[in-house]
Amino acid sequence: MSPLNRKLGRTIKTTRGQFIALVAIVMVGVVIFIAMNTAFYNLSRSQEEFYDDKNFADYYFHVVKAPLTITKQIKEINGIIQVTGRIQKDVPLVKDKGGRSVARLTSYPLPMEKEINQIHLLSGRLFDDSTDGVLVDPQHAQAKSLSPGDRLEIIVEGKKVSLSMIGTATGPEFIYPLKDASTMFPDPENFCIIMGPHEQVEQLVNMEGQINQVLVKLAPGADEEQIASKIEKILEPYGNLASYPRSDQLSNATMQMELDGLESSSRFLPMIFFILAAAIQFILLNRLIKSQRLEIGIMKGLGYSNRQIMLHFIGYALAVTTAGFVLGALLGIISASAIADMYALFFNLPESIGGINGAAVFWSWFVTSLLGVVSGLLASWSVIKIHPAEAMRPDPPRGGSRTWLERWDFLWGRLHTSWKMSVRSISRNRSRFAVTVLGVIAAVSIMILGLFADDSVDYMMDQHFTRETRYDYIVHFTQPVKGNELMNWLQWEEVYQLESALEVPVAISALQADEEMAKSEDELISGLEKQFGLRGIFNEDGKALAVPEEGILLSERTARKLGIGVGDYIRVESKLGIGPSRESSLKVVAVNKQLMGGGSFVSLETANRILQEKQLVSAVMLKVDINKSEALEKRLNDIPGVASVVSKDKEIDSIMRLMDSMLYFIGIMLFFSVILVLAIVYNSSIMGFNERKRELSSLRVMGLSEREVSSLLFKETCIQSALGIMLGLPAGRLLGELYMTAVNTDLFYMPVIIYPQTYLIAGLVAVGFVLLGHYFVIRKVKELDMVEVLKNRD
Amino acid sequence: MDREAIMRLDEVKKTYIMGEVSVEALKETTFEIFNRELLVILGPSGSGKSTLLNLVGGMDKPTAGKILFQNKDLAQVSDKELTLFRRQEVGFVFQFYNLIADLTAEENIALAAELVNDPLPVDDVLREVGLDDRREHFPAQLSGGEQQRVSIARAIVKKPQFLLCDEPTGALDYETGKIILGLLAEISREGHSSVIIVTHNTAIAAMADRVVRMRSGEIVELIINAEPLPPERIEW
Repeated sequence: MSPLNRKLGRTIKTTRGQFIALVAIVMVGVVIFIAMNTAFYNLSRSQEEFYDDKNFADYYFHVVKAPLTITKQIKEINGIIQVTGRIQKDVPLVKDKGGRSVARLTSYPLPMEKEINQIHLLSGRLFDDSTDGVLVDPQHAQAKSLSPGDRLEIIVEGKKVSLSMIGTATGPEFIYPLKDASTMFPDPENFCIIMGPHEQVEQLVNMEGQINQVLVKLAPGADEEQIASKIEKILEPYGNLASYPRSDQLSNATMQMELDGLESSSRFLPMIFFILAAAIQFILLNRLIKSQRLEIGIMKGLGYSNRQIMLHFIGYALAVTTAGFVLGALLGIISASAIADMYALFFNLPESIGGINGAAVFWSWFVTSLLGVVSGLLASWSVIKIHPAEAMRPDPPRGGSRTWLERWDFLWGRLHTSWKMSVRSISRNRSRFAVTVLGVIAAVSIMILGLFADDSVDYMMDQHFTRETRYDYIVHFTQPVKGNELMNWLQWEEVYQLESALEVPVAISALQADEEMAKSEDELISGLEKQFGLRGIFNEDGKALAVPEEGILLSERTARKLGIGVGDYIRVESKLGIGPSRESSLKVVAVNKQLMGGGSFVSLETANRILQEKQLVSAVMLKVDINKSEALEKRLNDIPGVASVVSKDKEIDSIMRLMDSMLYFIGIMLFFSVILVLAIVYNSSIMGFNERKRELSSLRVMGLSEREVSSLLFKETCIQSALGIMLGLPAGRLLGELYMTAVNTDLFYMPVIIYPQTYLIAGLVAVGFVLLGHYFVIRKVKELDMVEVLKNRD
Repeated sequence: MDREAIMRLDEVKKTYIMGEVSVEALKETTFEIFNRELLVILGPSGSGKSTLLNLVGGMDKPTAGKILFQNKDLAQVSDKELTLFRRQEVGFVFQFYNLIADLTAEENIALAAELVNDPLPVDDVLREVGLDDRREHFPAQLSGGEQQRVSIARAIVKKPQFLLCDEPTGALDYETGKIILGLLAEISREGHSSVIIVTHNTAIAAMADRVVRMRSGEIVELIINAEPLPPERIEW
C-alpha cells in the first residue's frame, strides 16, 4: 500500500465520526433510490405483464341490457380488434350473521382464452361449462376465511341463491377492487367480486342471451374517441349507462396514482440526500485540506504532484460514496422486497415481479460517485494554491469580521459576547451554515411529508363521517320503492330518525345549442328530503348548503370538467337502468364540494321528476339507537328488497385498519429524516469544534467551565437548527403540496392537511436529534487537553 | 524579602504516564510565590518549567504533594473548584496569544471581564496596554505585539492573583518583546498580581525579583534579585 493510501486510511480513522455520518446520508439516499425505483419498476412491470397476459380492455361500455349478438356488430368497426360482451351486476351478498354486503357478479364467456379481461386463478380450480361454481377475489376470501367448497349466498331477482365457491382469482380490472370512486379504500368485508361462467350468470340474473357490458380492445393507434362514439351510437337503443377508457377504469386509475407517487418520490427524495452529502463532503474536505496545510506543504516539498495530492483527497470522497453505495444497495434491495410485500396487501397482482433493478443500482452508483468526485475535485482545488515554503509557516489567524447584523446597534448592543461569537463564526463559515440549515430544512420537510398523509386522510374521514354523513346506517334497495312504504320503519324502537333519498345515475352536459357536440360527464345525483339533517352538503368554502326546491347543487368536479358555473343550465339524462332514459334540464343553484365521494344533490321531488316518477326512494339513511344495532340489522336483513346495509362505524373501522399499514411508511420516513438531522448537525458541530479547539481550550484556561464552553458551541448549533426547523415546517407543507399535485387525479383528490400537532411533532423530533447530534460533539469538550493544545501550534 | 507568600508548593511531584513509560516531569519541589512579585522561571525545554506553571495555574493536579492557596490544597479540590480558581485568581498569557478570532480586541477583554464579579473597567485596561485606538479591531487585523497586548489585557482585567506568562515574547521580535516585558514589569509593580514568566531566554531573568532556574524536572537554583533591571535595559 502506498504511503498516501495509508494516510487516507488514517485520515478516515481520525475523522471516523464524520465519515460514518456522511456514509449514512449517502446510504439513505441510495436505499430510497434503489428501493423506490425497484418497487416502481417491478410494480409497473408486473402490472403491464398482467394487463398484456390477461388482455386488459381498452374501453368499457355499460348498458341497461343488450343482446349478446350486438358484439358482432361492434366488431365490424374499423380499429377494433376484439369485443367481449358480459354481464356485471352488483347484487346483495348475505353475510354470515345475515347482514348484507355488495357482490359484483361478473360473467365470463367460455372458453376464456381469447376473451378480454381474463381472470387469473390464485387458488382452487377454474370454472367450466359443466359444473357450477364461482371464484371470489382473494381479499374477500381472506377477510371471510373462505376456502374452496364453502358456499356464498346472494340475492338475485328477490330470491336467495346459494353459490359454491371453487377458488380465488383476480383479474386486471380487479387489481385494486373498489366499489366506486367515492370509496378511497378497498373494503373486502363489505364488497367482493364474484366471477362465474357467462351461461350460469345469465340464468341467475334472468338475462339469457343478454349482456350489460361491452369490453373492447383497440388496434394500436386507433382513434379512441371516435370509435367510442360509434359504439355508443350502436348501443344507444339499449340504454347507454356509462363508457370510459382504460385510464378511467377505477382499479387502473388508483394503481396509476400509486405508481405516479412512487415514481416522483423515487426521483426527488434521494436527490436531496445525494446533494446534501456532496455539499457536506465538499465542506469537510475543504476543512481537512486547511488543517493539513503543513502536511500538504511537506508532501509537495518531497516532490508529490498536485494531481497526486488532489487524488488523495478525492479518494476520501470516493471512500464515502463507495461505502454509502454498497451499504445502501444491500439495504435498498432488501427494502424493495419489503415495499413489494406492502403493495401486495393493497393490490391483487398475480405475482409481484421480484428481482434487482440493475438500472437503479447502476444509476445510484453513478450519481453518488459523480457527486463524490465533483465535491472532492472542487474542494481539493485549493491544494494547488499551497506553496511548500509558505505552508510550513504558521497560519495567520482566522479573519474575524463584522456582520450585517451589527448595523443594528440596538440589537447588537444587547447581545451577549458569546452570541456575538456565534453570529460572526456563522458569517465566516457561510457555506457550512447554509448546508446545515438546508440539511435541517430537508430533514424536517421529509418528516412532514411522511406524516401529512395521515393527517389528510384523518381530516377527510373526520369531515366525511361527522360533517358530510350524519347517519348511522345507510340502506340501499335493489330497486326504488315508494316512500310511504317506509313510514312504518319510524315505529321501530331502534330508529330515531329516518330520511329517504333517491339516487339517480345520470349523464350531465351543458345545456347548449348543439346537442351532438356537448361534452357529458357521468354523475350520481342524490335527491334528498327538503329538511335533510343526516347528510351535510358544503360549498368550496365549507359553508353548508340547503337543497333547493328547483335546480341542482352540482359537484365541483363536474362543474369544473364541463366548465359550468352557478346560474348555468345543465341537461340531465337518467341512466338508472330501468325504464327508458329521460332527459330534463336543471339550473345550477350552487356548486358543492365533498372531500370523500362526490355527486350532485337535488330535492327528492326533483330527482323523481328526472325519472318522471313520484315519491320513489332508493336509499334510506337512519339515525339509530346504537345499542340496538344488532336487532336493527336483523330486521333489515329480513327485508327482501334490501340490497345493502352499511354501518358507518364498521366503515370507519375498516378504513382505520388500512391506515395502520401507513404507519410503516411514516416510520421509515421519520427514520430517514432523523438520520439526516443527526448526520448534518454532528458534522457541522464537529467541524466547528475542531476549528475552534484552540480557542475553546484557552477559554477553559481562562476559567470557563465545561458547560460554559459547550453552551458556546451550542449557540451556533441553535441558530442553525432553529432556522432550519422554522423554514423546514413550511417547506414540508410545500413538499406535500408538490407531491399531491403529482399524485392527485380527477378521480381521486386528497387535500394537503397538516395538523398543528404534526408540525409540533416534526419540530420536537428535530430538536431532539439536533440535541443528540450536538451531544456527541460536546462530549469532546471534556477531552480538551488544555495543556497540549496551548503548547502546540496547529 | 518582606513580601508575604500567597501560594506554597509542598513536596509537589508530577509524573506523566505515557503508554508504558512514565516521565517524571517535575521532581519533588517545594517553593513559595510571593504577593506582587515578578518571578521568572528559567530553563531549557523539558526542564519542567511549563509543568510547574500549569500546576500553579490550576490547569493540572500534581501526582503528589500539596499546593496551598488560601488555606486550600489545590491538589485535592474538584475539577469544578479548580475551574473556579482559574476563573478568579489566574490570568494566562500564551506564547501564541490564543485570542478569539471572532471577537474584537475590546470584546476579547470583555469576555474575560464577564467571568468575575469585580473586574477592572475594560476601557482602563485597553488604555493601560496602549490599545485604545485598536479596540474595534479583530485579532487578524492586529500585529503580533498588539495581539499579545490584548492577551495581557484579557488576563489582567480579572484582577487575578497570578498572571502566568508562558514564553510571552517567544513569537515576537526583539523590539516588540521588550515592550511586552515592560508592560508585565509595570503590572507587577503597580497592579494586583504576582507575575510569573516562564522562558528559556536567560536575559529576561535580569528584570525579575526572583529567578527560579530549572533543569530535568527540578529547581537547581533560586536567585533573589535585589536590584531588578528595567526591561528597556535588558539586551539579548
